Amino acid sequence: MKTLFVIDHLSYAPPKSNKENFLILKDISFSVQEGEFIALVGANGSGKTTLARHLNALLIPTSGNVLVNGINSRNQQFRNQIRAAVGMVFQQPEDQIMATIIEEDIAFGPENLCRLPTVIREQVDEALAVVNLLENRYRQSHLLSAGQMQRVALAGVLAMQPRCIILDEATAMLDPKGRKDILARMEALNRMGITVIFITHFMEEVLLAQRALLLHQGKLIFDGKPHTLFSDDALLDAGCLEKPAAVRFFQCFPALFPGIDNPVLERNKLFDSIAPCKVKFSNLSEETYLPKQTNPSEIEIRDLSHTYMAGTPLAHLSIKNITMEVQKKVPHGLIGATGSGKSTLLQHLNGLYRPQHGTVRVGPFDLNAADLDVKSLRRYAGMVFQNPESYFFEQYVGDEIAFGPRQIFGTQNLREKVKWAMDLVGLDFLTYKDQIVSTLSGGEKRKTALAATLAMSPSLLILDEPTAGLDPHSRKNFLKMLSHLQAEGIQMVISSHNMEDIAEAVQNVTVLSEGMSMKTVPVEKIFADPSFLSKTGMESPVAWQLAQALRNQGWPISPKSITIQSIIDETNAAINRENDESI
Amino acid sequence: MNQFDFLQKATIGQYIPTESLLHRMDPRAKIIGLGLLLFAVTFSSSRIGILIGLAAAIIGLLAAKIPIQFALKGLIPPLPFLLLIALIQILLMPGGGEQILFSVGPLKVYLANVLTSLLMILRFCVLILLLSLMTFCISSSELIHGLQQILSPLHRLRIPTMDLIMVIQITLRFLPFLAQSAEKIAKAQASRGAEWGTKNRGLISRIRQIIPLIIPLFLTSLKRAETMALAMDARAYGFKPYRTSMFEYAFRLRDGVFLLVTLFVSIAVFCL
Repeated sequence: MKTLFVIDHLSYAPPKSNKENFLILKDISFSVQEGEFIALVGANGSGKTTLARHLNALLIPTSGNVLVNGINSRNQQFRNQIRAAVGMVFQQPEDQIMATIIEEDIAFGPENLCRLPTVIREQVDEALAVVNLLENRYRQSHLLSAGQMQRVALAGVLAMQPRCIILDEATAMLDPKGRKDILARMEALNRMGITVIFITHFMEEVLLAQRALLLHQGKLIFDGKPHTLFSDDALLDAGCLEKPAAVRFFQCFPALFPGIDNPVLERNKLFDSIAPCKVKFSNLSEETYLPKQTNPSEIEIRDLSHTYMAGTPLAHLSIKNITMEVQKKVPHGLIGATGSGKSTLLQHLNGLYRPQHGTVRVGPFDLNAADLDVKSLRRYAGMVFQNPESYFFEQYVGDEIAFGPRQIFGTQNLREKVKWAMDLVGLDFLTYKDQIVSTLSGGEKRKTALAATLAMSPSLLILDEPTAGLDPHSRKNFLKMLSHLQAEGIQMVISSHNMEDIAEAVQNVTVLSEGMSMKTVPVEKIFADPSFLSKTGMESPVAWQLAQALRNQGWPISPKSITIQSIIDETNAAINRENDESI
Repeated sequence: MNQFDFLQKATIGQYIPTESLLHRMDPRAKIIGLGLLLFAVTFSSSRIGILIGLAAAIIGLLAAKIPIQFALKGLIPPLPFLLLIALIQILLMPGGGEQILFSVGPLKVYLANVLTSLLMILRFCVLILLLSLMTFCISSSELIHGLQQILSPLHRLRIPTMDLIMVIQITLRFLPFLAQSAEKIAKAQASRGAEWGTKNRGLISRIRQIIPLIIPLFLTSLKRAETMALAMDARAYGFKPYRTSMFEYAFRLRDGVFLLVTLFVSIAVFCL
């Protein structure tokens, strides 16, 4: 097999910082054969993106060498050949879209390569078909949802027909169905002989790869099979990773899976090979759903519709006839495919949009009232946007957090309010208040954004995709913090593509599909209907699939168990009882 | 209308695919034809000529199936400035004619000056309508590829037309981006208690809410420009001194007719 990349003692420091401690990458060496399928993992800020950018000569090593197809990336003359051979999909999809019309953007790459018009059209059609955007080809790129934009970006690279594709968290913004599409396409491309290197924070995706590279603070600390990686707890901890749910369960109860040695390679038949439970449990039926007590509603939405750019030829109906209710003190989730109107709906809740049609009531506020006190509403219903770090407008963490309370309460006790909010999210006041926002890690930025909203002491917290793009550790911490806030009495409304988040953080879920609300149900019920989920672009989490497989074999897993931890606990209890009865 | 829809207010700079005859025209014909009209309206000194230009712009909008009302919306933002300039012109221009319309204290208002000012306002309105029409019916890539072919003789003289054209393309791409960034930042600030979308609508409070918007807007734009340059690099921009195009344009009879018509109209605007 041909060697595609040779990375030889690569170190990198950003220009104009020749100090040792500014090294982003430290002495990295590895090589990649043509046709490999590699996952690049590591915590936020560990240097994954920097490393990826060396692979297509966007960055040049400070010391060491990168050879692509035997061409040294320092060799300026051949740099363009490297870029034609190695395609790159960036983290923020909208940054790499050049043209205002989708199909023209996809043609950008092949046009640069001076291909013939007929060839370009063919390649554009093909790439559009892959990412499922054929019917959107004439739409304007800036009117797309984040997930659609990611697909355009991928198509733009595919159209160049590179030999290697590097995807920098290309699935972070997609709904489960979109993610599955892209992953399946990645695998298909790999089968055709294209080398695929992808950066991801989803541990389930790492399982797909033949090889995993783990970066930790700029050093390559692991290079090997994903299975080996997931058997090494110390390594996972150092790299801020976690085990995929199925692997974790397997390692807890290997005896439950007769005939399976390697949960990674044999993951497709893992759930089918679960051993049946030897003891009959009679109390299974008792544990079916108890009707939840219904609290008075906190948010009431009736028949809400919203049209973007109403009254122009570009009018675009975003949500229509949404009716939903959020109960007091019950964390509420919002799921739906990308572009289903989740963000638009959320922005109605704090008065950024006023109802064009229908009624909205949030706590004591009636959004249809002409004399609505918008400022109090926004204080009452705090909003944390999707990708909040791209909305920061102050330089220092302290100032960023102080912005809200200063507008609302004035300068009195400002310091205490900022400190209180920072304590709440676990950022130390003295250490962080004078830090520059842009130097924070991904998890810290997310916490800063949350603290900035919390500093206004809202009663209701609206979170739009709160964990997208966070590494597993940061995500876990963030979710823990949310449940802590919930316990403090702050009501949550969360939209997410990550079904694990939804399973862990909320109790009731509203499903949106193409701008309409399909239904509102308890979270464990939503996963019980896979056909409905997949119809709306969702997928039940692996933990839930595992619980279902266990139940099929007679294991007493209650329907309420939807997180991997509770499934492990219940299985443990069942095994103990099994042992007791056999004695 | 929502005060965060910055994009909605800027009608200029948006391509509207209505699939009309004008949209399906060869981009080179559209660029040259409308360019001729723009040139003629800019330099014409006659009132009748500019009125002909106005008629041409409206006929063009109708032919492109663009709602006239939507196009007229684009005239509203610059109108205060035009009126201000006209006022200054009326009051401060030296007396051009004998006919004094009326006088306020030491200031005398001459009929001739009022007429020239009105003509100026009309001229700018026609120019804005024509420019909007251009952006409505020429997509950015048609503009790019059209210009590329029109300018290709210059390329042979070793003038870097490719880069010039890319500058135009990126600018067009940045217009909606700027509006969207402004929208995002305004929303983020509003959510945290800034005076957006609340009832204060006085001039000073409006200026006050725009100032904190500007610095973050600059920063995000710079950051964005940097990553976009990187993304262009990654997609082999500059690989060869020339680029091909996904579209092949055939210059047909109707394009020729269109060019001739615009040429005649332009001459009429200029000379009548």
